[in-house]
Amino acid sequence: MNLLALVKIEWLKIKKYPAFWWMFGIVALTYPGTNMMFYYGYSEGTKGKEVASSVAKMLLGNPFAFPETWHTVAFLSSVFIMIPAILVIMLVTNEYNYKTHRQNIIDGWSRSQFVTSKLFDVLIISLVSTVLYAVVAFGFGAWADYDNIGRWAEQLQYIPLFLLQTFAQLSIAFLLGFLIKKAFIALGIFFFYNLILENIAVAYAKMKLDDIGKFLPFEISDRIIPSPAFMSRFGKDMKAAYEKALDAIPLHIGLTLVLTAAIWAFCYWMHKRRDL
Amino acid sequence: MQEVLNINGISKSYGPIKALQNVSFTVPQGSVFGLLGPNGSGKTTLLSIILDILKADAGSFAWFGHPGSPATRKQIGSLLETPNFYHYLSATDNLKITQAISGRGDNNSIDTALKIVKLYERKNSKFSTYSLGMKQRLAIGAALLGNPDVLLFDEPTNGLDPVGIAEIRELIRELAKQGKTIIMASHLLDEVEKVCTHVAIMKRGTLLTAGPVDEVLANEDIVELGSPDLNALENILQQYQGVTQIKATDHQSLQVFFPIGTASMEAINKHCFEQGVVLNQLTLKKKSLESKFFELTND
Repeated sequence: MNLLALVKIEWLKIKKYPAFWWMFGIVALTYPGTNMMFYYGYSEGTKGKEVASSVAKMLLGNPFAFPETWHTVAFLSSVFIMIPAILVIMLVTNEYNYKTHRQNIIDGWSRSQFVTSKLFDVLIISLVSTVLYAVVAFGFGAWADYDNIGRWAEQLQYIPLFLLQTFAQLSIAFLLGFLIKKAFIALGIFFFYNLILENIAVAYAKMKLDDIGKFLPFEISDRIIPSPAFMSRFGKDMKAAYEKALDAIPLHIGLTLVLTAAIWAFCYWMHKRRDL
Repeated sequence: MQEVLNINGISKSYGPIKALQNVSFTVPQGSVFGLLGPNGSGKTTLLSIILDILKADAGSFAWFGHPGSPATRKQIGSLLETPNFYHYLSATDNLKITQAISGRGDNNSIDTALKIVKLYERKNSKFSTYSLGMKQRLAIGAALLGNPDVLLFDEPTNGLDPVGIAEIRELIRELAKQGKTIIMASHLLDEVEKVCTHVAIMKRGTLLTAGPVDEVLANEDIVELGSPDLNALENILQQYQGVTQIKATDHQSLQVFFPIGTASMEAINKHCFEQGVVLNQLTLKKKSLESKFFELTND
């Protein structure tokens, strides 16, 4: 069975799954909504005629103008990884819940084909999220400062970086659903770890443990897209930190690729040998 | 006769529990093969292994002479344990997935399968809205998709009402007539006896017996006799040559057991009459699958 046939079968499963369209709708609202909030904050802070506003405008530039928009919108949107993560976890735990993970094999898939089909689910959801991000980023770039539209093709690397980060983090969500099999437990662990535990661990490691937290599962790929450029304009230390973060991107791309490949290799290995 | 399935020495343990111990048998082409056993005897475990859902600890199996593979599974319409479908999809959409994975049949065959299991009118309803019996029928419909030559049904009549059970029995008979090979696990002995040509009986993971129904059942002749004086009848039969066992029934008669093919009704009748006992009943009985099953599976 070729890969296209696998994708078609996954699409049959997804296209009528209400949670997929809910996720699509929520992401379609959240990405522009969050960025709009920040943009509004920025516009309010810089629109006055007084000196402070002019200084703020000079200092920050316009984070939503081309080409900065690709970076700013990627950073702000990536915070909402939990929305597609819910869908990824539901899609894999549904298979256990409905026992269709068995039926797909009984009907003639190999165990590897089943994992590949799920890999495509994660890839499809990552691509959908990335397309939404790219549309929102382009929209802001065109709207926030039309004069800069000629620079739209700069910093386009944030599109593949956003895709890689989303795919990597959704792969972790998949792994949790794949191993735990129960949606609520997997979601609970994902949220607790992603939103709370790892953030505390990373902050603690920054202060006390020589930033060893950068090797934690989500932080590895979080650092593919560092804080937006305007953050570097608040003094020497911030600038140094920003440049250091930019320099570390290639390392984190490498680490992300290794971790993500390891996750999927483990899933293939595990599914081949276990009882279903 | 060509073999559809060959099971060779399959064992499977869950920790200290031995779910299957060295099970071997073959399923001939064109047979309706009943796999029987009490709950927990290992039927579903065995079927799960031959469908690659569970991994055997030891032993092997071959479908159509080849080791089990996705290609062999695609040729078998299977219902294992429960109907497994996407709850949010309709019957038609679920069967589209079955069809896309198995490569069996086309769009028309989805409608055909749904008509056979009487779900055509509800083909666009979501699976989650179906009753237990309808879910079971959809699972049978999925197995029938594309008219495969081999069918595997694990408790096919689960959740069905008496009419549904009779319909499935008829369907299985019809499929058998078409020359299909049907492997069917069940604990409804009456059902199996009505449709199966072959049986395998399992208990606590061990295969007790397997073969054509007639051979498995008829390993002895059972003669049922009645007389006004049952004590006298029993006394004279105890000396009769070839009798292996005598049992009293609960309706004023005796069951007398002989090695297969040795009971002669005329000779028994003559013997009794000569000994002064007049019979009011004399029948050669076929052992029912139920009695054979209890005999084998009772401790």
